[in-house]
Amino acid sequence: MSADDTQEAREQLIDLAAQFYDQFELGEIPHMSVPTRTKNNIEYDEDSDVWVYGDRESTRSANSVQGARKLLKAVYTIEFLAEQLEADRSSTLRELYYLSESWDNEEAQFSSQDESNSLVEDLEIVSGVTREDFHMRPEESGATIMGPLHLREQTRRGEREIHCQEDVGEGGYQIPNNPDTIEFLDCDADFILAVETGGMRDRLVENGFDEEFNALIVHLKGQPARATRRITKRLHDELDLPVTVFTDGDPWSYRIYGSVAYGSIKSAHLSEYLATPEADFIGIQPADIVEYDLPSDPLSDSDINALESELEDPRFQTDYWEEQIELQLDLGKKSEQQSLASRGLDFVTDTYLPERLDAMGVL
Amino acid sequence: MTSFQSTLGDEPGIAEELAESQQSISIAEFFEKNKHMLGFDSGARGLVTAVKEAVDNALDAAEESGILPDIYVEIEEAGDYYRLIVEDNGPGLTKESLPKVFGKLLYGSRFHAREQSRGQQGIGISAAVLYSQLTSGKPAKITSRTQGSEEAEYFELIIDTDNNEPEISVEETTTWDRPHGTRIELEMEANMRARQQLHDYIKHTAVVNPHARLELREPQEHFKFERATDQLPAETEEIRPHPHGVELGTVMKMLAATDSQTVSGFVQEEFTRVGKKTADSIIDEFRDRHYGREMRWRPPAAHENVDLEAAVADATANKGKEATAAFAAAIADGVDDYDRIAYHELLETVESAAEAVADDHGTTFGDTVRENAVEAVWLELIDAVETDESESDDEGDSRLVADLSDLADEATSTRKDDEVIHAFADRLAATFEDELEGDDDEGNVRHRLTRDRLRSHVDRAADLTEEYDDVSFGETARENVTDAIWDVMATVPDDPPLVRELNGDRDATSDLVDAMRATDIMAPPTRCLSPISEELITAGLEKEFDADFYASATRDAGVSGGDPFIVEAGIAYGGDLPAEGTGEVMRFANRVPLVYQRGACATTDVVKSIGWRNYGLDQPGGSGLPNGPVVIMVHVASTNVPFTSESKDAVANVPEIEDEIELAIREAARDLKSYLNKRRSMQQRRKKQNVLGTILPEMAEKVAEVTGRDEPDIDDAIARIMNNVLVERQVEENGDGTAVSVVVENNSGTNESLEITDIVSAEPTALSDGATVVEMDGEWFVKWEPEVPSDDEAALEYEVPDDATFDLDVKGVESEKLTVNQ
Repeated sequence: MSADDTQEAREQLIDLAAQFYDQFELGEIPHMSVPTRTKNNIEYDEDSDVWVYGDRESTRSANSVQGARKLLKAVYTIEFLAEQLEADRSSTLRELYYLSESWDNEEAQFSSQDESNSLVEDLEIVSGVTREDFHMRPEESGATIMGPLHLREQTRRGEREIHCQEDVGEGGYQIPNNPDTIEFLDCDADFILAVETGGMRDRLVENGFDEEFNALIVHLKGQPARATRRITKRLHDELDLPVTVFTDGDPWSYRIYGSVAYGSIKSAHLSEYLATPEADFIGIQPADIVEYDLPSDPLSDSDINALESELEDPRFQTDYWEEQIELQLDLGKKSEQQSLASRGLDFVTDTYLPERLDAMGVL
Repeated sequence: MTSFQSTLGDEPGIAEELAESQQSISIAEFFEKNKHMLGFDSGARGLVTAVKEAVDNALDAAEESGILPDIYVEIEEAGDYYRLIVEDNGPGLTKESLPKVFGKLLYGSRFHAREQSRGQQGIGISAAVLYSQLTSGKPAKITSRTQGSEEAEYFELIIDTDNNEPEISVEETTTWDRPHGTRIELEMEANMRARQQLHDYIKHTAVVNPHARLELREPQEHFKFERATDQLPAETEEIRPHPHGVELGTVMKMLAATDSQTVSGFVQEEFTRVGKKTADSIIDEFRDRHYGREMRWRPPAAHENVDLEAAVADATANKGKEATAAFAAAIADGVDDYDRIAYHELLETVESAAEAVADDHGTTFGDTVRENAVEAVWLELIDAVETDESESDDEGDSRLVADLSDLADEATSTRKDDEVIHAFADRLAATFEDELEGDDDEGNVRHRLTRDRLRSHVDRAADLTEEYDDVSFGETARENVTDAIWDVMATVPDDPPLVRELNGDRDATSDLVDAMRATDIMAPPTRCLSPISEELITAGLEKEFDADFYASATRDAGVSGGDPFIVEAGIAYGGDLPAEGTGEVMRFANRVPLVYQRGACATTDVVKSIGWRNYGLDQPGGSGLPNGPVVIMVHVASTNVPFTSESKDAVANVPEIEDEIELAIREAARDLKSYLNKRRSMQQRRKKQNVLGTILPEMAEKVAEVTGRDEPDIDDAIARIMNNVLVERQVEENGDGTAVSVVVENNSGTNESLEITDIVSAEPTALSDGATVVEMDGEWFVKWEPEVPSDDEAALEYEVPDDATFDLDVKGVESEKLTVNQ
């Protein structure tokens, strides 16, 4: 990132503080409005094909004791971030949480990491600067890429050129926190296969799926971190690779697909930057449970609630998803990716994936 | 049993023998054996009761003579006994009455008076004397000095329990430093285990008698309770009994004693709240009960085959064709004017018809003619004209059946079908027809029935209907039908008996008592009562409890058993009252504290039944006494407080009184609630203000640091946040002077009325509307009392020369809600 960007991010933050200052001077109650981050307040943006926040806003106002505390914390955080940018340092979200303990004012200290995370999100939204530009990063998510991709990464210790098959071990290439420091050099892959679980990723690698099908296997590690989604989007946009998502067959996994394809509710302000609307869902589809006669578990009450809530989620209001979710509610069953092993260890690479990818028109 | 009877018969002397051992018991002897009934059941309690009786008497005596009571109570150890001394500044007692007051049970001026007083039966103080002589064997020593007399009388006396008379052992004159008053000294077996109750009694007495000065000296402690007011309680007046509260025996006694001749005069003279109108209502009620009412039947309608004119004409002989026709027509018209007509109303109609026709035609219609006409018409009306059997069959039902059927139909539920009602009406009509064949010659041709008799007719008809038509005819339906018929029946005009006729006639007197109870009569006057008043309850509570909040309520008078009563309640909360444990309940009856038997008292029951949580107090389990720093006092004033026992410790559970107690407490509790709510919201506001008061300046400081500017001014923002009222001065140089405006910005949710005083060091000019200015010692006081609606502003403007200084003083808004920027 250039020094200009850093300077700009810093100015944005100071502008925010100046806004509070002006509110005080005008005798107004200091306040800050941010879009309401719930599923009822996201709407489809036709221009960019992603889901973004709607018009509803929540106001953080010093009107109440709680609101005032929140704003006080915001100002302290702004000061910290501004100083961090000036010194060209970076820190993790968790560090911010612990760092607040050192602030002289007890009222400004965070009571939980959720609170500090959510405040950073607020600041991102209000200032229009991403967290990465504040030099705030999450803990390494450990998500990886394995496949025929050659890239150059700008690290703090200089440039590194890496081939994601040849220069890496079995674990693959670890996606850095800010993937915008990566430059793609060469790519022989035909498509991206994003996989939810580590066990399935290892199975695909062991079976040589990436080599056989020219696939870039991206390990999502559960709900994908921003960096994972960002690099997926860049691979799609810049290298024109189709994206497919392979997860368990349960409501929680559909949300993983949802955040890759449509953006997550909490980061809808960054959807344009993170979401890959063209991503396709491989499975496990509820229909697959029947078709391949997969071992299954009954849906729990929370699964059913989650499915029903997905039916109301605007991101899932497509014919395909409504059909699948209703089918699953009818079946009352869910299956894991690895349940495919019941048909043999090679079944997934020899039969299931080729059949599904063929049906989806990727192969 | 039979064998015993025969034994009795064999020995004729046994009844006489038993009779010999029976003798009358003196009241003094009775109470000697039943001390507990008067509150002297133990040494500890006996002492408290004795103090209570003596102090009650002293207060009564002083108040009655318009003297502000000043009472001294001393308890000292005297060997094995305790010596109790009570001195008052009352009017003193005469030499003649003194021995009886203290030495004779049931001697007093109060028992027969319907007037609020502490003592009533004349038992209390003499019972204390009795208790003292029983336990210590020593006489009571009494000193009394009446106003203006040179010397005081000194007596030593005991009660002769055999005949309930005082027995005086010493009688002499002495000197005493009080100008008037009474002093009693009793020695008794006692202990101080009930010290707490004793203190409570004295303290509570001081609360409800803020006009009295009390002093208590006991072996360990010494209290003085000074007056809170110099205002004596309003004097009470005796009242006559209220008609709703007298019993049959009392009325019989009053009838024997009265000078009145008529019942109307009697009730007006002897009872309170009875005037001519009320007397008339009572007499009507009495007639209904004593004589019964007469049934009023519907006059024949046009379609009915009843010709009253023909009937009259047939019954009238030798009066000339024209006159007879006119007579008949007049009667028929007269009857037709009624919706329903009773026998006595028919009599009147015939009388007036006869007189009218006599005037026009010069024909006299004598008594016989009139009687005949009445009978002819009445028989037509009640369909009792004797006709041939065959004819009556054609006619179908009697007129009475149709009439009663309509009444019954309206009175009963719609679920009963018409046929059942008709069958019932048929049977009921038969009972009316049966009335004709009474025991005496004429029978009850007038259809005059008491309500009870009517009800028995309805019952009979209903029973038969249930039996034959197999339907239920329940209690409610019967009562409704009876009511419907009773309502159309007419009160008879008969004169009520004279007092001398009533006197000794138990049944008729009982009808009169019932009549009095049934009549609506205004509640008895309350001048016989002396409530403490809300103001003085608060003053009394303030005097004895150091609390944050006081509320009181005095209810309007109610009546229970003919005795008027007033309930008052007071609540003290917070301050130095103990915050731990249950609140305190103080009970009073006629200004006397009730110390014992708290659990048996209606007052306690009511306090426990109230949901105190609704009023912001802590109440574990949602019932019972509330917890926390609270004192609840209840005062029941009545001409006759219903106590559960002679020792007068607890008010009996009388529903009317309980209701009023509840309402009085709730009234005071509502004030407590709004006080507590307000306090709570002020507390929250203070807390919020405290927290924001630290956070916002810190935030402002930080913001200034981050932006590299000076610290911003945050007062306005804080005032807005706190929904505060912001008073702010703006000063502007204005050529040769200074323009000042004081702006009030109301950010709260309610309208605010402020009193603003701006003290200016130079004379202000060009004052805005509504402001006034007063000069005092070279300072100008600008007064302005704006009313500012919620979310609105108002401004005070004026001009002063340069260099003037200002000082703002704002009142009318709680300090928590106010921000003033000078």
